[in-house]
Amino acid sequence: MSVDAEAGRLVSRIELRDVARRYETGGGTVTALAGVTLSVAAGELVVVLGPSGSGKTTLLNLVGALDRPTEGEVVIDGHSLRHASRRELFTYRRETVSFIFQTFNLFPGLTAFENVRFGADVSKRSAPAEIAREMLDHVGLAERMHHFPKMLSGGEQQRVAIARALATGNPILLADEPTGELDFRTGTQILGLLREQAEAGRTVVIVTHNREISRIADRTLELSSGRVISDTVPPAGPAAVTDLHW
Amino acid sequence: MLMWLRWSWRDLRARFVQVAAIAGIAALGTGVYAGLSSTSGWRRASYDASYSALGAHDLRVTLASDTFTPPARLKQALAGIDGVAAVETRLVVPTSVDASHNGRTILVAGRLVGLDLSGGGPRIDTLHAVHGRTLQSADAGSARLVLDDHFAHHYRLPTSGAVTLSGSRHVSYVGQVLSPEYFTVMGSEGTMHAEASFAVLFGSLDTVQRLTRHPGLVNDAVVRLTAGGTPAERRAAARRVETALRTRLPRTAVTVAAIDDDRAYRMLYDDIQGDQRLYAIFAFLILGGAAFAAFNLIGRVVEAQRREIGIGMALGVPRVKIALRPALVGFQVAFLGAVLGVAVGFGVSRLMLSVLKSFVPLPVWVTSFQLATYARGWAIGLALPFVATLIPVIRAVRVEPVDAIRTGPTAVRSSGLAPLFARLTRGNSIRQMPIRNVLRAPRRALLTTLAIAAATATMVGVIGIVDSFLATIDKGESAIIGNRPDRLTIALNGFAVRGSPQLRAVTTAPGVQRAEPGLQVGGTLRSGTHSLDTLITLVDYRSPMWRPGTLSGHLIAGRPGIVIAEKAAHDLHVHTGDTIWVRHPLRQGLGYKLVESKLEVQAIHDIPYRFIAFMDIRTAGLMNLDGVYNTVAVAPKPGTTMTQLQRTLFAVPSVGSVQPVLSFAQTIRDMVNQVLGIMRVVEGAVLLLALLIAFNSSAISVDERSREHATMFAFGIPLRTVLGNTVLESIIVGSLGTALGIGVGYGIVQYITQILLPGTLPDVSIHAAISATTLVTAATLGVVAVSVAPLFTARRMRGMNIPATLRVVE
Repeated sequence: MSVDAEAGRLVSRIELRDVARRYETGGGTVTALAGVTLSVAAGELVVVLGPSGSGKTTLLNLVGALDRPTEGEVVIDGHSLRHASRRELFTYRRETVSFIFQTFNLFPGLTAFENVRFGADVSKRSAPAEIAREMLDHVGLAERMHHFPKMLSGGEQQRVAIARALATGNPILLADEPTGELDFRTGTQILGLLREQAEAGRTVVIVTHNREISRIADRTLELSSGRVISDTVPPAGPAAVTDLHW
Repeated sequence: MLMWLRWSWRDLRARFVQVAAIAGIAALGTGVYAGLSSTSGWRRASYDASYSALGAHDLRVTLASDTFTPPARLKQALAGIDGVAAVETRLVVPTSVDASHNGRTILVAGRLVGLDLSGGGPRIDTLHAVHGRTLQSADAGSARLVLDDHFAHHYRLPTSGAVTLSGSRHVSYVGQVLSPEYFTVMGSEGTMHAEASFAVLFGSLDTVQRLTRHPGLVNDAVVRLTAGGTPAERRAAARRVETALRTRLPRTAVTVAAIDDDRAYRMLYDDIQGDQRLYAIFAFLILGGAAFAAFNLIGRVVEAQRREIGIGMALGVPRVKIALRPALVGFQVAFLGAVLGVAVGFGVSRLMLSVLKSFVPLPVWVTSFQLATYARGWAIGLALPFVATLIPVIRAVRVEPVDAIRTGPTAVRSSGLAPLFARLTRGNSIRQMPIRNVLRAPRRALLTTLAIAAATATMVGVIGIVDSFLATIDKGESAIIGNRPDRLTIALNGFAVRGSPQLRAVTTAPGVQRAEPGLQVGGTLRSGTHSLDTLITLVDYRSPMWRPGTLSGHLIAGRPGIVIAEKAAHDLHVHTGDTIWVRHPLRQGLGYKLVESKLEVQAIHDIPYRFIAFMDIRTAGLMNLDGVYNTVAVAPKPGTTMTQLQRTLFAVPSVGSVQPVLSFAQTIRDMVNQVLGIMRVVEGAVLLLALLIAFNSSAISVDERSREHATMFAFGIPLRTVLGNTVLESIIVGSLGTALGIGVGYGIVQYITQILLPGTLPDVSIHAAISATTLVTAATLGVVAVSVAPLFTARRMRGMNIPATLRVVE
């Protein structure tokens, strides 16, 4: 992670160098990713497309240091994660990446406010309560901050999850099927928020099987059977979230 | 059916650690119940067999204290009484025994029992040699005796050796024996397991007559009846024989008692019933813990199967069939527990057997497998956890299929009670989690709390009883000691009148600073239909050395009246100022007869033993014993030790026994220490139970919170923080469980001391007491052990597959 001196914004560049991930199963070896090489520039919003089993979530897990590659290396801002210790990986997750999960994974015992504050607390940011309030306000849930997850709709829960990820202040946002559980209207709200983050300088990687979502990306990577089969940049630039249909 | 069974096996395999833990808990409950209860059957069968093997008497005839008669006269008086088949006369005399050995001073009160060895006797109450040999006809008239094995074993005395009796009479013993009358040694004050302070020696009648200077005299007889099958028949015979003897020996006070009223016999059998109730309480508490734990596990299994249950219902599978799978899991866990319980029970019963054998050494031990007891324990051990598992199963299949299948935001788990407290707790969100997690799943937290409470309550119940005993002993010790702990109590060989040489030999012995003659007689207290045995001690109410303390009323010197124990007043339903009937001896010519006098209860003394009663020595005229004494309380001069004075007085011919005033308390303390052996067996089981429950609840907790833990790991929260939160959560639940357990445990101690023990230990007034050590132990067990348990899951957490747990893997 570094700071762009000119823009004064947090930036982080992601590189995957000939990364492979294989799993040993009872029936033999399963290759989830094979020889993937790519890079994501700081402040870029990249959508990773692919059908089920194509390896897109594995890719996200490797970037998020939830998993280690069998071959190759993941490099963040020029620092390889290959030889990072367990402690260093925990620190990396705490200070560099933030996850947004398809199933939200909010803490049911904490209120929306506390779930968001969790993000700020994890990163040991000063004035976590203020940050949490600000983030909830930003995702339009200021009125619902004392509600528990069970009392919130799916869209609201995902917005809380995004606010929690934002509250960490980390430069990389990793979103795994962030709209998978949501209706169209709520889904586009969420995508709007993610687009905003990229524009604010965060590196955003969204994994989805919904091709329509790729229209808002700066770049689209398509995976199939663990390999990158296309890497495209929309010629007319990213579409507005309001233009999406599905 | 086979498919459901196979499916349930997979469920069991998936949670084999928890399954093993719960089966272990159920096994402990079943095993403790079956193992402990088996000993009740063993004890009853062994007592019966041992009393039968040694030809225990049916009736015992005892002449009043200091009353003797020629054996032929007593035999003649008993001969021809309806139902009397055989009679053997004996001479039973109190003594002091110096068995000092290997540099250890052993000076105790004791009893010399002279037996008729003629014709290969005795044939009633025969002796069983444990070490060395028993008495033979050739020992008649010789100075060879045999020693009661309890005393010899307690002091690790050699198989044969020499002891000194009061009056410096040296005798040798050639063996260590058991006698039915002394299967448990009763102290002179009526306490069980008094072998530390009471020695019994058996010799030929001639030998004992010579040693005690009662030539040609006896004071005791044992009787076998022609038909004495039942306690009622024996008691009826005792009344018949006593009535007949009053006519045939009009000048001799005689009591006749059936063996069923023998204190040692009664206490041994009564003890079985009392202990059995205790075992049942402990076993049910442990099984209760097992039931809660099983409930937790099955609740978790059902939760994990929620979607599958929903799918099954959506596909039209009948609810009963759907319920079969988790129910089979519950049944198999309970079954496994019950099967393992047999092994645990076997182990517990073996442990108990070794405790019992040292506790009550018997010539015959019958330790057959108690099938009925095991079957009962097995059925309870199977039913209780299984029924507990049915509750979550029934709840699960009552949910609508659509709710069970639902995933996504609407399937988010409830926040439980967390909202109620959300505004009370503020600050760092990570630190909020433990309390919120407890509140979020109130039912699970409650069940875990109850399981821990059951374990803690059992432990507090077990140790609390010991505490209560010890507190009672301390109370009694302090009351008996007063401000002269160096006092010695002397029992004279017989009655001595004021100014007699026998009394002067004691009061003027070197080293005696102060001597106060007294009188001790047996009697009965009666009020209405309630009566109880008592030992009345006549002391000087104005004594500067010692006089009884009072809880109510006053000691009134010179006025006839009695001071009784709080427990005696309770059992007789009387208070200070009321009058009761006191049956006591009345000197008449050369003998005594028993009469009843109406006396005022002047005060309630502070000694917690019911059989102890006091009267002022100035009122001895009531018994026609004015100026007659049979005890002396002495205090040593400064510079004279108790042991020195004990040895000096031991050599005085008129002295029967010399005991430090503390020896009585020591006897009770020894008795409690023996009881502790049994408690330790239960305690070990309870400790294991608490750890298993703690581990189990932690394992379930980790299982339930795995997604949350994975989320925390994904956000970079270190393992120690996650583990710390889990520990904190356990501390909260453990503290609640411990507090509840201590409260319930105290209730158990109250119940046992107030309801159970008065039946089995009627002579001791025991109040519920729980020591600080017990509270600390309970807290350590309930809080620390429970809190440490999550640490055992650290490895599992460390190896967690975070992506899989987060369900982000496709």
